[in-house]
Amino acid sequence: MTSTLTIEGLRVEVAGKEVLKGFDLFMSTGEVHVIMGPNGSGKSTLAHALTGHPGYTVLSGSVRIDDVELLNLSPTERARHGLLLAMQQPLEVPGVRPFDLLVAAGVDPTNLRQRMRDEADRVELRPEVLDRFVNVDLSGGERKRAEIVQFGLLRPKFAVLDEIDSGLDVDALGAVARRLSLASSEWECGILAITHFKRLLQELTPTRIHVLSEGRVVASGGPELSEILERDGYEPFRVTSA
Amino acid sequence: MKGAQYTAWVPISMKIFADSATAFIAERPDAATRQRAWAAFEAAGLPTTNDEVWRYAPLKDFVLDRFDVPGEPTTRSDSAFAAQLCERAGLVVRVVDGFCVSTGAALEGVEVAVVESSQSLAGTSFTERYESDTFAVLNAALAPATTVIRVGAGVNVEEPIVVLNVSNSTASFSRTQIELGRGASATIVEYFEGGADALVVPLSEYLLGDNASLQLITYQRLDQSAWHVARTTGFVSRDARLRQAVVGIGAHYNRSRNDAEMRGAGSENELRTTFLGSGDQVHDFRTHQMHTGARSRSTLLSKGAVADQSRSVYTGLIEIEKGAKRTDARQTNHNLLLSPQAHADSVPNLDIRENDVMCAHASSVGPLDELQRWYLESRGVGREDAERLMIQGFFYEMLANLPPELAELVERDVTSVLATVNVVTP
Repeated sequence: MTSTLTIEGLRVEVAGKEVLKGFDLFMSTGEVHVIMGPNGSGKSTLAHALTGHPGYTVLSGSVRIDDVELLNLSPTERARHGLLLAMQQPLEVPGVRPFDLLVAAGVDPTNLRQRMRDEADRVELRPEVLDRFVNVDLSGGERKRAEIVQFGLLRPKFAVLDEIDSGLDVDALGAVARRLSLASSEWECGILAITHFKRLLQELTPTRIHVLSEGRVVASGGPELSEILERDGYEPFRVTSA
Repeated sequence: MKGAQYTAWVPISMKIFADSATAFIAERPDAATRQRAWAAFEAAGLPTTNDEVWRYAPLKDFVLDRFDVPGEPTTRSDSAFAAQLCERAGLVVRVVDGFCVSTGAALEGVEVAVVESSQSLAGTSFTERYESDTFAVLNAALAPATTVIRVGAGVNVEEPIVVLNVSNSTASFSRTQIELGRGASATIVEYFEGGADALVVPLSEYLLGDNASLQLITYQRLDQSAWHVARTTGFVSRDARLRQAVVGIGAHYNRSRNDAEMRGAGSENELRTTFLGSGDQVHDFRTHQMHTGARSRSTLLSKGAVADQSRSVYTGLIEIEKGAKRTDARQTNHNLLLSPQAHADSVPNLDIRENDVMCAHASSVGPLDELQRWYLESRGVGREDAERLMIQGFFYEMLANLPPELAELVERDVTSVLATVNVVTP
C-alpha cells in the first residue's frame, strides 16, 4: 500500500536563527527524492527537525505520513510511524549494542544476528564491528554503513539519509546505493537523500531532485536537473534575500 | 579484677566480636603477629564520620557485635550464577568465609597456595602497610591465611581464573595476592556473593612483573544487608599493564578502595569502577593512583547510577612523584541520578610534584545524555527502554575487556538486577 510523506511550510529555528523558512515537499513510498544544496542551505536542519532532535525548534508547518501529523509526536512515535533518519555523523552510544537497540526498537529477534550479518555484507561492512557498542570505535565510513544496516532491519516507510555519501569511498558508495535502491522494490521504501555531492545521483536513480537554498526549495525537477547542477553548480538557483 | 581490666580496653558493644576475634587469633599458628594487628585495631578503634574518609558511611547503623568471627568455613552450595561463572573458568579457587577451601585443578604455569604470611607485596607487614585503614588492619589480624595465585614468567593463561568468594557466616576476612611474573598474562575474576547481615572485608594485592598484563574483574554481588569494606592495591612494574574493572551491585554499605602504584617506567593502569545504587544503599568508591615510574599511564573511569534513596561518593587521588616525567594520568567520573531522592558526590584530587606530565580530570553528576537518548528514540526505541539500555550500558562498558562468554554472563546478571530498579528521570 502506498504511503505519502507531506512536508508543508516547515520553519525551523536553530540557536535562535531561522534556518528553514517554509520548506515544502511531497513524496510517495517507492520514490527516490534527492535534496541538494550548498553548505548552510538548511539540509541537515531538515533531517534533524523531522526526527525531533532536541536542539531544533519547529516554528510552524506540518509533516505528515499519510494523515498522521508527526510534529506532535515523540521521536519514538515518529520512528514507529515509519520515519528513519540515517545521520551524517552517527552518534556513539557507549554500552549499547546494535542488536539490543534493534530489538528494543521492535525488530523481530528471530535470526536477527544472521540478518544483521547479511545486511552488513550487502554494504561491505565487516560484520564484527556490529558486536561493538553503537558507533563506538567505528571509522566514519563504517558508521555510515552501520546506519544502513539498521535501515535494512528497521524497514522504514521513509528514510531520510543525511549526507550518507560523505566519508564513503566509491566502492562503498556503490554498495550503499544498491542497497537503498533495492529497498524501494523490497518494501517500497521512500528515500529522501540529502547531499551536496553529485556522485550519489549517479548511483541512485532519483524520481525528483530538489534544490534547497536559504531554507526553501527553489527548484524541483527530474534527473535533468542534475545535469544543470553538474554544468553550472548552484549559482543559477541562488536566491537573494529580497 | 581481671574482668575490670578487660572492659577498660574493649567497650561493651564490641564484646561479642572481640571475643570471637581473640578466640580465633589464639588458634592460629602466627598468633603473636595477629595479636599485634588486633592491638593496633583496638588502639585505633572504629572510625567515625568525623573522619573525612568515613564521612559518607552510615556508621551510626554499624554495630560490630552483630558479627562473629568464624573459626572454620561453613558449607553451602553455589548460587546458579556462581556455578555458571565456574563453568567458564580454566581454574576456580574457592574461598568460603575467608578460608580458601579449594585451590582448584592444576593449570599449567599457575601455582595456587594458601600461606600463613603477614607480608604485604609492598614489602612490609600488612599492619604497617595499612596502618591508617582500620578495616585493613582487622583483615591483617583475622584473615585465616593468604590465598596466593602465581603465574609464572612468560606464561599466557588463556582461560579465565575465577576466585569465588562466598560469605555464609556473619564475618569474613579474605586475603588474596596475585603475582604475575615477567611477561605473563592472565584474566582473573574475583567474585563475591552471600554476606547476609555480614561484615565482608576482602584485601587483595596484585604484583605485576615487567611487561606482565593482568585483566582483572571484581564483581561484587553481596546481599543488600552486607557491610562490604574492600581494598585492592596493584603494584605495576616496567611496561606492565593492569586493567581492572570493579563492579559493585550488592551490600548495604559498599566501600571499595582501589589503589595502584605505577612503579616502573612505561607501566600502565586502567581502572574502571561502576556501581548501581538502590534502596538506601551507600556506594563509597575510593581510588589512589600513585605514579613514580616515568612515562607511566593511568586511566580511570568511574561511572555509576543511583536510584531510590541511595547515595554514592567517588573520591579519587592522582599522585605524581618528582621524576615521573611524561606521565599521563586521567580521571573521569560520571554519576547518573535515577531518582530525585538519590544523591552522588564526586571528589577528584590531584597531587603533582613533576612538571612534565599530562594530567586531567572531569566529573559530572546528572541525568542521561539527551542526544544519545534521542538517537535511540529516533530508531523507534521507547523512552523507558532507551534509558534502561543506556543505564545497563554503564555496566556493559565496564565489562568490555572481558572474554565475550564471560561478559555475556555478567551482563545478563546485571540486566536482571536492573530490571528490579525503579528509574525516575527528571
